[in-house]
Amino acid sequence: MRIYEDLRGMQTRLVALQYAVVLGLSLLAAHFWYLQVLRGRHFRDLAENNLRRAVPIAAPRGLLLDRKGRVLVENRASFNIVVVPEHGESVDTTVARLAHLLASGEAHIRERIARRDAPFRPIIVKSDASFADVAALEAHRLEMPEASVDVVPLRSYPLASAAAHCLGRVGEVSDRQLQSPDFADLAPGDLVGQAGVESQYNRSLMGRDGLRRLIVNSRGVEVAETDRQPPVDGPNLTLTLDTDLQKAMDQAFHGRAGSAVALDPETGEILAMTSTPGFDPNIFSTSVEPALWSRLSTDPATPLMNRVIQGQYAPGSLFKVVTATAALEEGVITPQTTFYCPGYLSIYGTVFHCHKAAGHGVLNVQRALQQSCNVFFWEVGVRLEIERIARYAKMLGLGAPTGVDLPHEASGLMPSPEWKERTQKTKWYAGETVSVAIGQGQVTVTPLQMARVAAFMATGRLPRPHLVKAIGGVPVPLVESPVLPFKAATLAAVREGMRAVVGEQGTGLRAQIPGISICGKTGSAQVVAHSVLARHSGTEAFLPHGWFLAFAPQERPRIALAVLVEHGGSGGEAAAPVAREILARYFGVAAPGSPTVAGLVDTEQ
Amino acid sequence: MAIDRRLLLNIDWVMLGAAILLALIGVATIHSATHGGAAANLYLKQCALLGLGLVGLVIALSVDYRRLADRALPLYVAAVAALTYVLVFGPRIAGTRRWFVVAGLQVQPSELTKIVAAILVAKVFSEVRKESLGLADVLAPGAVIGLLVLLIAAEPDLGTAFCLVPLFLTVAFLAGLRLRAILGLGVVLAVVGGVGWQYALKDYQKTRIYTFLDPSLDPKGAGYQKIQSQIAVGSGGLMGKGYGKGSQSQLGYLPARHTDFIFSVLAEELGLVGVAVVLGLYLLVLWRALETAQLARDRVGAFLAAGLAALLAFQVVYNVAMVAGLVPVKGLPLPLMSYGGASILSTLLGIGLIINVRMRRFAN
Repeated sequence: MRIYEDLRGMQTRLVALQYAVVLGLSLLAAHFWYLQVLRGRHFRDLAENNLRRAVPIAAPRGLLLDRKGRVLVENRASFNIVVVPEHGESVDTTVARLAHLLASGEAHIRERIARRDAPFRPIIVKSDASFADVAALEAHRLEMPEASVDVVPLRSYPLASAAAHCLGRVGEVSDRQLQSPDFADLAPGDLVGQAGVESQYNRSLMGRDGLRRLIVNSRGVEVAETDRQPPVDGPNLTLTLDTDLQKAMDQAFHGRAGSAVALDPETGEILAMTSTPGFDPNIFSTSVEPALWSRLSTDPATPLMNRVIQGQYAPGSLFKVVTATAALEEGVITPQTTFYCPGYLSIYGTVFHCHKAAGHGVLNVQRALQQSCNVFFWEVGVRLEIERIARYAKMLGLGAPTGVDLPHEASGLMPSPEWKERTQKTKWYAGETVSVAIGQGQVTVTPLQMARVAAFMATGRLPRPHLVKAIGGVPVPLVESPVLPFKAATLAAVREGMRAVVGEQGTGLRAQIPGISICGKTGSAQVVAHSVLARHSGTEAFLPHGWFLAFAPQERPRIALAVLVEHGGSGGEAAAPVAREILARYFGVAAPGSPTVAGLVDTEQ
Repeated sequence: MAIDRRLLLNIDWVMLGAAILLALIGVATIHSATHGGAAANLYLKQCALLGLGLVGLVIALSVDYRRLADRALPLYVAAVAALTYVLVFGPRIAGTRRWFVVAGLQVQPSELTKIVAAILVAKVFSEVRKESLGLADVLAPGAVIGLLVLLIAAEPDLGTAFCLVPLFLTVAFLAGLRLRAILGLGVVLAVVGGVGWQYALKDYQKTRIYTFLDPSLDPKGAGYQKIQSQIAVGSGGLMGKGYGKGSQSQLGYLPARHTDFIFSVLAEELGLVGVAVVLGLYLLVLWRALETAQLARDRVGAFLAAGLAALLAFQVVYNVAMVAGLVPVKGLPLPLMSYGGASILSTLLGIGLIINVRMRRFAN
């Protein structure tokens, strides 16, 4: 039996359903049109963002070479653990896992992540990581797409603490530096020079970082490289330093605090520069521990300070070469002019004592320099008066920075009535001139300024001290050093006096090296009054700083030198032997025996 | 039981062809989505499953649908038993109990339950001889289907469970349920939904809904899938990036790309053109299915074809809308295209039943 049911009522509803389906699918298609055509560009950008990464390639910093091309500062490969938190699940899990893998503090990692300035910028969470760290991370590569290992060049200083102040050090760019326009293109974690040549020539040494454009999958693993801009290596800097002399200079101090600097008197090239105590710049190449930093920066022995350009000391008797030059040039004395030293000078109602109580007798300027007679230079100073002394001192570069290519150079101080009026609102007393004439009072100088004075005495020119000979093989042009229009007889007389210093009866006899005509001058910078020193003769901190400046050989000077031994006592005793060791090394004289000191009747003050 | 030769002539070759074409596009897209990885031969497995599904389809169309409808009650009892068994004894996989294993095969009873539910709903409403139905008339059938919904939702598998709701509503609508009653049912569902939100939903499900409303809450979590899928779809553009060349699909940014998000891969690699072709094919299948309901010789056949069409339509629309970022991410596969044996088997069984209804429209 066939039973046909009445299905008519349903037909309309079925047709309605059919059109509902057409409508639904059409609306969906329209939405795809919106997504794929109208907003296609937006989503294509997002897709590109997903898969493209730009990874910088660190440009190796330029090397520092000595004047003969020997390596002073180089780069070695090291591993940095970097992280891009956006590629991980959450910052918390990233921090917890890294702290576990690297056995390091969560707070430290969190702090570093908080410092970064832009999203998707890789953050260094550990620099110079060990092989164990790298292995631990690689083993968990798949669980941690946000972390990776970067191979980067790390700064290495084979000389360690020798020349540390001069070469400087590198360190992560500080938050304050990032604020300045000079460092605007850098990111936290980037290494920049923080002292010495590394800082002065930082821009040049850095070169320019390269860039790799990568395609990565959803786990952050590199799939392909689409573009590579190679880094531009920082050019090598050829310095004026001589590694051998530098080491010899460092050793000549035998652990005592002080500083020394040697110049080529013709050009002003710095052949060696030492400041002790020093530090090992290698420890700064990665992020330095805060405890170590605070220990170094608050150490009363100031190991981070470059005493050659930042130490400001009274020149003591070194200043007598300045006074002598001024007096001869001004015609206040001639080389033949003599004064009588009875052991004291009574002037302005005060009695000043020469360091040789019995007196030096009758002496001309040559003998006065040789024996460092105070009375002679008091007599001369009183006749010159302060203005002329100050003028000549300034002509010889005192009281102003030398312009050396190192950061933070101190200027020293050359006092004058005008200066005193301006800064202390008081009149100049004639008695002060007496002090200044022999390098006491308020005069201060840096060792580098005195080495430059030695260079002037050697050549008659005042060269600009500098450390960089060539950048990337291209010689740096010399700054022409002005010839000071002094009379030949002036310099000849001072040189004769300086020559006599390093000889029989000279105060610098201990600097003598047979066969080499060394011209020198001793000096002592008092740190306390004579009366205090007499009462505490055993207290090293009250001993004067010993000075020695020299150039050699007299006929054709090749080296100008200043040495300062802090609290070393007299210059002749403390500084001259150091100078002798340095000069012996420079002239290739093997370990000369110390010259006899018999007959050396006095030690100048 | 031999099939009458005359019946073969009445097979809806258009719908069958469209369905097989969709399944083959699915196989090709699965190949593109997986060829680089460890599961590179999944497309072959899918081919085998498709073959198995076609066998199922042939079986489904060879038995007269009226004889199946007469056995609706035993089928229902079997489905409830299987779902209960899974809930109690099924292995716990990723926090859910959805499968049991028979002779080495994973069986997912909830997929087959959809077919059973379609047969049951058709049978129940074909017995109701009224011009117009009120709420009271659908309460009993609603409770019967509601049990299945609850059992599946408890696994939990909310996506599949919810599929039964449009199936039920569509057949009830065709059976004469008044529009006012449908609105009333909507209110009831809203209340049940509200209570369910409070007491039944797991935290991860709530999170999914929250992050659907604001994906940036959790760009690496539940919102990640929606964002990445939208990027894949949108970056495909008009013509697509080319087969096998979608960066989102190939570099692994797209999750579940060979299963629930297969349509993203298609949209990324073949563009709006590919989307239009595939949606057109689905429209053809659904159009023919609803046409079958109009041609059916009896109410049970019409309700069966329409119910199965509603089931299919809901899954297609929901999955495609999910891929486009329009609705929350649910574990709902795209019928015929997503990788997975249970889904393709149940879909082809359903299509077999629709063809069954159409080819027997003249026969006694």
